[in-house]
Amino acid sequence: MTGRVIVITSGKGGVGKTTTNANIGTALAREGKKVVMIDTDLGLRNLDLLLGLENRIVYTIVDVVEKRCKLKQALVKDKKNPNLCLLAAAQTRDKSAVTQEQLKEICEELQKDFDFILVDCPAGIEQGFQNAIAGASEAIVVTTPEMSAVRDADRIIGLLEAKEEIKSYRLLINRVRPNLIKSNDMMSVDDVVEILSAKLIGIIPEDTGIITSTNKGEPIVNDEKSLAGRAYKNVAQRILGNEVPYLDLEAETSVVAKFKKFLANLVGKDKVDSTAGGKEK
Amino acid sequence: MGENIFTDIYNKVIGFFRQTDAEETAKDTACNRLRVVLMQDRTNLNPQLLEKMRKELIELLSKYVEMDKDALELNFEQEGEQMALMLSIPVLRAKSAEDIEKALEEELEEKPEDAETETKDADSETEDENVEEDEAAEEEESEEEISKEDENKSEDEK
Repeated sequence: MTGRVIVITSGKGGVGKTTTNANIGTALAREGKKVVMIDTDLGLRNLDLLLGLENRIVYTIVDVVEKRCKLKQALVKDKKNPNLCLLAAAQTRDKSAVTQEQLKEICEELQKDFDFILVDCPAGIEQGFQNAIAGASEAIVVTTPEMSAVRDADRIIGLLEAKEEIKSYRLLINRVRPNLIKSNDMMSVDDVVEILSAKLIGIIPEDTGIITSTNKGEPIVNDEKSLAGRAYKNVAQRILGNEVPYLDLEAETSVVAKFKKFLANLVGKDKVDSTAGGKEK
Repeated sequence: MGENIFTDIYNKVIGFFRQTDAEETAKDTACNRLRVVLMQDRTNLNPQLLEKMRKELIELLSKYVEMDKDALELNFEQEGEQMALMLSIPVLRAKSAEDIEKALEEELEEKPEDAETETKDADSETEDENVEEDEAAEEEESEEEISKEDENKSEDEK
């Protein structure tokens, strides 16, 4: 088995790299794929929190590199899904604790046992970024429809294009707000795609559910009714090579849709699922 | 009567929205600003370099045409997939063949020394001479020539 190594990167911080990583990883694992996530944000680790695994970490990637443990010992299994593992970052060290060469070796080792290796990249374009992309052959560039995030994504795309090992990269546009786009107050997905002239892999709506799911340490893809969760599941399908149409976010977030959901909630829980399912199409 | 009031309100509301439509939206502003800033990021052409390029272009072109130097505009514009460098030159008057030759000769002579300042001076001198020589002719011509203002030249950036 040779797993695919995908780096999830953005340049700008706070656009949702780690959230994207946790959700795509969980969604792929739910599809029966063996997935390992590597947090390369040494000193500022957060992927463990989003997965609710912060109390289970014994060894980190630095322990592996410095040979205090074997690679397999450092992998933390997910609470729910045995297909999903995490290789956590060290919280007490800085980015120089792991080199590009070492990360590449770890990725090659993991490729033997896993279908997907998702590398969570730190913000910025310095050594941490260079380390994270070292072992990867694919990339997902996360951005939001904001000027600063798009500008930084453009920088990242330039750097990815210069890197021979990266065979393909695709764009994930996060925190999309359909009502703001409709009123021409926010750049649309098409605008961002055109400006960056990159291929798209996902459109994720702004969803308050992300905050509660982070608080609980449970990725939002586990919530069947969440719009962002469904969008992330579609991204996972596209990674697997399946063509999935993009959600009609404007219709999904319209007042009418919300009212229908409200009515469905009033009628009773049994009918909620059926109506929610019907609206997906 | 009732209908009239409603149509009146309707028109006012529609008019209000049309007004806001005509203005540049926040989204358009963001897109345009981004395109310019990304162009600079991608090519390392910062405002200082653009200004230098503008000055050099004025210098070069003023050998051949007389133009409104302050009104010359140099901007990046997006045309579909491609970025274009748009140069807008308000031409006041085309120079005569003799003047052009003169300017070129002078440039050749003075090139070894401080090229930038010297050629500039030379250019303005020839323009002055020019004005004295064909003062009468110019007045007649100028009105016709003005209509040819704002000739756009575009050069592909890459």
